[in-house]
Amino acid sequence: MLCENCQQKEATLHLTQVVNGEVTKCHLCESCAISKGIDVHATPLDLGDMLKNLKEKLAQVQPKPSDAPPDSSAACPGCGATRTEILKKGRLGCHQCYDVFSAEILPVVISLQHNDQHAGKVPRRASAHLKTSVESARLRRELDKAIASENYEQAAALRDQIRALQMEAPSP
Amino acid sequence: MIPRTNVLDTAEAAYQSAFGVTLSSRVRLARNLRGLPFPDRASAPVRAEVRRLVMEAARDVLPCQDALSSSTLLARQQLFESHLISRNLLAGSPETAVCRNLTSTQAVMVNEEDHVRIQALRPGLALQEAWADADALDDVLERHLDYAFSPVLGYLTSCPTNVGTGMRASVLMHLPGLVLMSEMEPIINGLNKIGLAVRGRWGEGTAAIGHMFQISNQLTLGVPEERIVADLTEIVKEVAEHERNARERLKKERRLQMADLTARAEGLLKAARLMTAREALERLSELRLGIALGLKRRIPMATVDRLLLEVQPAHLQAWAGRALDGAARDKVRADRLRAELGGRRTKRMAKRTTT
Ligand SMILES: [Zn+2]
Ligand SMILES: [Zn+2]
Repeated sequence: MLCENCQQKEATLHLTQVVNGEVTKCHLCESCAISKGIDVHATPLDLGDMLKNLKEKLAQVQPKPSDAPPDSSAACPGCGATRTEILKKGRLGCHQCYDVFSAEILPVVISLQHNDQHAGKVPRRASAHLKTSVESARLRRELDKAIASENYEQAAALRDQIRALQMEAPSP
Repeated sequence: MIPRTNVLDTAEAAYQSAFGVTLSSRVRLARNLRGLPFPDRASAPVRAEVRRLVMEAARDVLPCQDALSSSTLLARQQLFESHLISRNLLAGSPETAVCRNLTSTQAVMVNEEDHVRIQALRPGLALQEAWADADALDDVLERHLDYAFSPVLGYLTSCPTNVGTGMRASVLMHLPGLVLMSEMEPIINGLNKIGLAVRGRWGEGTAAIGHMFQISNQLTLGVPEERIVADLTEIVKEVAEHERNARERLKKERRLQMADLTARAEGLLKAARLMTAREALERLSELRLGIALGLKRRIPMATVDRLLLEVQPAHLQAWAGRALDGAARDKVRADRLRAELGGRRTKRMAKRTTT
C-alpha cells in the first residue's frame, strides 16, 4: 500500500482517525508521519515530559492547506474553544473538540499514548454494536502482534474470534 | 508500658508483612458527561448542573457529600492531606464537590479537570480490588449519567494524557532502603522507561520527603484496565523485593549506622519541643525503617503510619480543635508526638491530661 500523502513510498504506519464522527484509516510512510508530528519511534515518556511534549507538538502543528478547516479561527460548536486556545492550554474544551480538531489532536494522542485504539471498559449502557467494535479493534491489534511475532497459531485463533464477532453483530 | 519481648506480636508481624513496604493502592477513573463542556470551559450554571447530576447519581453509594465551595479551607486541607481531593480542588472553586462513602475508601471529585473523577483506595498492595471497587462505582454512576465515550479513543478527557481508560492506578511505597543504598535513581529511570511514573508522596524525585513514593501508570489508551493493574502489580512486587533486599543489606552491613539513625529519630520525636511537618515526616520515616529492621520493637508500625497523616497541618489543627499558625503548629506537633510515642511530658501537658 502506498502512502496517502506522498503516493510514493510504502505506507508503514496505519492510523485510525475520527473525522466528524466517522472513523477513517490513514496510511502513511515514515517520513510523512514524522512531518505530521507523529512519533514513530515511540518510547514511553516521563509524565512531565509528556505534557511539555504535548504543548510543543500542539504549537508546532501546521495544518496543510488541504486539511485545514475553511476558517482557521473556527470554534468548536460544543464549547466554543478555538484551535489557538487549545494549543495554548494543552487541554480540550469538550468531547466534540476531539472530532473538530482531530487533525491536530490525533497525532498528539498517538505521540503521548503510543496507541490509537481504546481497548478497555465500554460504558455498560453503550450499544452492543459499540462494544463489538471496541472488542474487534482490540482483537485486530492482538492479531497484528501475533503476525509480527510469527505466532501463526495464535493469529489463526484470533482471526476466528474476529470472524465470530462479526457474525454475531453485523454492522448496521 | 508495653512489655519487652523478643518475638514480634503476631498482629504486628502481620501488619508489617502486609504494609511494611506497600502502604496503599489507588485507582482513579476520569469521566465526562456527554454534551457538556469540560469543567474548565463550562459556565457556572453548567458546572452547577454537572454537580447536581453527579451528586444525585452518587447519593446512595457515596452519602458523605461536600460542596467544597461552602466548606472551610481547613476542612478542604484535611481532605487534601487524606488524598481525597486534589490540589485543584483545594482552592474551593465554585461548583466543585467531593462525595465519599462512610469509610472514605471511595470518592468522587466533581468538576476537577474532568466532570467526574472516581477514586478507590485499598490498604496494602490491592490494585485488583481497588479497580473492582472503582469499576463497580463507575457502573452505579453510569446508570444515571451519560458519559462522553468514543469507540476509538475510549473515555474522552480534558487532557489527552488520560484518554482511553481514563485510569490512573497508583501504589504508595515506603522505600528508605533503596534511597539509603543509593539505588532509587536507577529504579526510577527503569520504571520511567517501561511507562511508569514515580513521584514523591510529599516531595519530588529522589528527594521525596520521608522516602514515600507513588508509582503509577502513564499510558491510558490501548491497554485494558485489567492489564494495567496486573502489570503494575507485578512491577510493584519486584520493587518491594528490591526494597526488602536493600533493608537486609542495611541491617547486615550498616547495623550500627542504622541503630544510630533510628535512635536519633526516636530521640528527636520523643524530646523535641518544636517540630516542623517536614522534620516530623522525615523522623517518622526513619523510625518506621527502624521498626521494619527490628531495631525498634516497642512502637507499633501502625502508630507511625497514623502519625504520618496526623502530623500534617490540617489534621493537626482538627485534632487541636482550633486554627493554629505555623509556629503554634510546630509546638502542638512536638507535644503530640511526645505524648503518642511516650516521650517527655511538659508540665502543661501533664496538667491538661489530669483535668
Ligand atoms: Zn509519504
Ligand atoms: Zn469543544
